[in-house]
Amino acid sequence: MNEFVDECRREWRRLGVPDPVANEMAADLTADLEEAEAEGGSPEDVLGNSAFDPRRFAASWAAARGVTSAPAPDRPSLWRPPIAIALGVLLALLTLGAGLALVSGRSSSSIAFATRRVVAGPGPIRRLLVPRALGLPIVGTHVAGINVIPLALLVFIVGVVGLGLFAAWYWSPWFGPRRYRRHGQPRTPRWN
Amino acid sequence: MGNAEGRRSQLLRGVLDLCLLAVMGDGPAYGYEMTKRLRARGLSIVGEGSIYPVLGRLERDGLVETHRAASNGGPPRKYYSLSPKGERALEAGVGEWQAARDAVDGALGLVKAEVMP
Repeated sequence: MNEFVDECRREWRRLGVPDPVANEMAADLTADLEEAEAEGGSPEDVLGNSAFDPRRFAASWAAARGVTSAPAPDRPSLWRPPIAIALGVLLALLTLGAGLALVSGRSSSSIAFATRRVVAGPGPIRRLLVPRALGLPIVGTHVAGINVIPLALLVFIVGVVGLGLFAAWYWSPWFGPRRYRRHGQPRTPRWN
Repeated sequence: MGNAEGRRSQLLRGVLDLCLLAVMGDGPAYGYEMTKRLRARGLSIVGEGSIYPVLGRLERDGLVETHRAASNGGPPRKYYSLSPKGERALEAGVGEWQAARDAVDGALGLVKAEVMP
């Protein structure tokens, strides 16, 4: 019983319900639940099927009373839709690039990097930089052959899985950014 | 609507506010007390949801008045009672319900033919 009320309190806090109002609702709810229990009843006798979904119940009650403020973001700003979309696009591009590399890698399974200094006679020194963090071999002015297929395959698999997870998260009615899209507040039951 | 319980839930959803206003006509009551009054009149809310959001909306719309008072040896409770606006809403709502019920009865063929004396 206390767990139910505590869960309601957390939801009210998240929704920005003023403390005095939340305290009042919690006190009324606690008193009713205790009375039902004293009479041999169960929480369902008081709450019906809402007894199994405290967050939904709390949100519904607060919305009906008109005491919710703008929904407090329960996600860091990283997950706001524009950034989420940008991340999704980046992931898609990486996956696409890896896929292309896989396709082209079948005909030519190596990639060449020119590294260090390339001195072309008199004149300015030309330098081509190679990302050392990738661990690519630096062999002076020689050409290094690297098999790109395993790397591209890995990136492709990670990208596909990532896109799947991203899509599931983004279109989820309860966890993704779209849950705030319709009315500017989390979806609540229509029981009010 | 897939089953009888779902239909009942949908029907109740539209008139629960009226039912609550009606049981408040018996006198001020707190939340759970109203649940018990509904049950005594044959209307169980088990499986149908909770009355609290409906009470919240009635309060927000000014159809009920509230005050805090001690219950029987228990903690202070929030008592709901009909406001004048709520009384008018109840009267109007009862008329709407009766009209809707008669119309549905007619559609379902349940209206008895009037017999002239």
